[in-house]
Amino acid sequence: MSATHLHEGVAAPLTKPNPLLQLVRRRPEIITLALLVAICVAVSIINPAFLQPSSLIDIGRASVVMGLFALGVFIILAAGGIDVSFTAIAAFTMYSMTLLVKNHWPDAPIALVLMAATAGGALLGVVNGLLVHSLRVPSLIVTIGTQYLFRGILLAFIGTVWIMSLPPTMGAFGRLPLFQFESADGRTITLPFYFLVLPAAALVTWWMLNRTLMGRAIFAVGGNANVAERLGYSLRTIHIFMFAYAGALAGLAGIIHTAANRQANPFDLVGTEINVIAAVVLGGARITGGTGTVIGTLLGVLLVVVVNSVLVMVGIPSTWQRVVVGGFILLAAAFFVFCQKKN
Amino acid sequence: MSHVSTARRPAASAKAEPFLELRGIHKRFGGVHALRGVGFTIEPGEAYHLLGENGCGKSTVIKIMSGAHPPDEGEIVLEGKVYHSLTAIQSLSAGIETVYQDLSLLPNLTVAENVALNEQLVAGGGRLARLFDRTRLSETAAAALATVGLPADRAFLGTVVSDLPLAQRQLVAIARAIATKAKMVIMDEPTTSLTRREVDNLIAVVERLRSEGVAVLFVTHKLDECYRIGGHAIVFRDGQCVEQGPLANYTKHRLTELMTGRKIDAERYRTGAPMDGELFAAQGLSLPPNVRDVSFAVRKGEILGITGLADSGRNELAMAIAGVMPATGGHLRVDGKVEKVRHPSEAIKLGIGYVPEDRLAEGLFLDKSILENEIALVVRGLANRLGIVDKAKGRALADKLSQEMRLNTRNLDLPVGALSGGNQQRVLIGRWLSILPKLLVLHGPTVGVDVGSKDTIYRVIQQLAEAGMGLVIVSDDLPELLQNCDRILVMNGGRVVAEYDARETDEDQLYKAMLSSKTSAATSAVSAVVNPETVQ
Repeated sequence: MSATHLHEGVAAPLTKPNPLLQLVRRRPEIITLALLVAICVAVSIINPAFLQPSSLIDIGRASVVMGLFALGVFIILAAGGIDVSFTAIAAFTMYSMTLLVKNHWPDAPIALVLMAATAGGALLGVVNGLLVHSLRVPSLIVTIGTQYLFRGILLAFIGTVWIMSLPPTMGAFGRLPLFQFESADGRTITLPFYFLVLPAAALVTWWMLNRTLMGRAIFAVGGNANVAERLGYSLRTIHIFMFAYAGALAGLAGIIHTAANRQANPFDLVGTEINVIAAVVLGGARITGGTGTVIGTLLGVLLVVVVNSVLVMVGIPSTWQRVVVGGFILLAAAFFVFCQKKN
Repeated sequence: MSHVSTARRPAASAKAEPFLELRGIHKRFGGVHALRGVGFTIEPGEAYHLLGENGCGKSTVIKIMSGAHPPDEGEIVLEGKVYHSLTAIQSLSAGIETVYQDLSLLPNLTVAENVALNEQLVAGGGRLARLFDRTRLSETAAAALATVGLPADRAFLGTVVSDLPLAQRQLVAIARAIATKAKMVIMDEPTTSLTRREVDNLIAVVERLRSEGVAVLFVTHKLDECYRIGGHAIVFRDGQCVEQGPLANYTKHRLTELMTGRKIDAERYRTGAPMDGELFAAQGLSLPPNVRDVSFAVRKGEILGITGLADSGRNELAMAIAGVMPATGGHLRVDGKVEKVRHPSEAIKLGIGYVPEDRLAEGLFLDKSILENEIALVVRGLANRLGIVDKAKGRALADKLSQEMRLNTRNLDLPVGALSGGNQQRVLIGRWLSILPKLLVLHGPTVGVDVGSKDTIYRVIQQLAEAGMGLVIVSDDLPELLQNCDRILVMNGGRVVAEYDARETDEDQLYKAMLSSKTSAATSAVSAVVNPETVQ
């Protein structure tokens, strides 16, 4: 054979320039964890009150709704899409569900209410999925549209009045303690029962993504949708499933939000999407899709919640929260790019 | 689909029904009639070579067999059953596996998942609401990786595909195709980035597949490899199947004629000679560890070839000249003036054009029109003070360039992505002509380009040299250098180790210089110097 085409040395073994960089590149959530730890250490040095159980429990409580949203956003992001309609889905399901229960079945068991809200959110998510798939339009555009649509329908047809007194079962669920204790200054500190929903949802999401074919299919679509389709993955099924899943989480988050705040405000939640997306991206999921982990997403949520709640404790005005979160996002993004280049 | 295929697979020797038959397949994309009544038969255990120029319909017919596109007319007979079209899952379930030209790997998933997840997807008929078997995933992947000669340890199985070098990715794509008990494997240019040893290994894999009754369909431009594998040739031209038969019945020359529909001579394209006067010189150019102290000169109207193995530094040298990877030592001399190039824009100012090797990643805007691609480098010069581009002027320039480059379309508004590889390359070269370069560096000018387009590109190169432009062709396609250049430099270990007059050398001599060990290379460097003053 003649020496027409010669490519030598292309199969050289992978060079590992720097084990630490390699690790961070593979597991970007390490950066999130490092930032989180750094902030916690800094804050507890400045203000040791931060380390008290009460503030930790506050953080845990504040993470639930955002965490549920973030898990949904993460799934869509993993598949290379983006969803900004989840807050509208949450508002829609929580308000109409509360209204329905209050007016027609005030004693409905809470499990049923939660399940119905989840199912309702999933249904609205299916609308997203069908639209994204059949219109072949980027999911950002579709979900901007459905955000307006869901919210508009809610405010135009269902109601605009704040519901200040919840149906009794929902109110009770919001107050139900997982555990309770008395702090040094005599206040009662409660970690609510609904906190458990977040780790449970995270576990289910992790299992779905890493143990089922659907989970791998979601990442496959995020890697390259055309290739995934060529390999026999049904894009239609995946699109519908992932938006339904994100919608279900949003519906669940909505009803928990209502129960926790002991009121249903139809104007609530919409407008906080960017916060959630920021948390997910801070958790190491690339906005271009195909990467990220559940644990990273949770860390990202914790980071944002800690920044939001802690700055006040060290005397930084709350208006600075955005500056700090924005700075972190840019910092993390720059670092990820740096690691990429170093490789 | 292992449990099904073992029961029904016909023995290689038995004169059973064909595995697959295409009958009268037509396919149109908009106004383009890509396939016009194509038909052929695939027997179990046979090897087939689908040959033809870019744009002749090869890729389309592959997509029809793999279920990516439905045909407009015609039928597909798969193990005796007639289909009008296949879905991806149907095709995969029937045992048709494809190694795509673009590899079709999922960059964010691990090697094991890329190789073996599809087996489980297909086994379940494409249903997604299921768990997958992680033990079986690793086992299937490890077995397939070992077959293609890749490591099968846990670390490699868990590596994310985007972290692999290109050659390993290609092998991973092949491993995926053979991870299942396939009945037919389609390989679309599977050897483009493989070394000789890996190609040998692949050919051994193909032999084994055939002995197990698996049909193999190759698509390639490398006729030498076809002859090594043997089997049947299926020649496509303009969406039609123009010839089928045992490969042994055709000479290479005959196959080329069949593919292009015209006679192409393998003679030297270079008929002219360099003019007097140095145009350009590189002096002591260094970019450690890849380029070390490289010096050479190019005269007006001269065509200089530079070759070497992939790690010889030839690629980095080309990029250093163009400022893409600025040299850390040495300098250039352009028209007698000493210059340094720290950025591509500085090279452009000096009149140095650079046509990159990877036209898709580094060069073309695929979704933009031919017009926009051609004028991309000079668009600022076409704009008035307010930054508004003179469209008529741009169009006139693009029109002139595409005529010079003999593009096969006059529609300048066509997106470049719709063109064949050869025409894309011509658009890219045309773009660089727009800056009226004194020196044009062509990096792999005909990689992935079919025979007919090669011919056109070579003719254009010769014309440019006749007009006094200096050209540097960096390539590993030795016949290309021998046919087109005045002189050929061979690089090895970052240095120029030999220089030959292209008329007085041959592939063997060049190849030996490329492979010469790096220590002995340094001492033998002067052995074949023809123009001693250029190597300082």
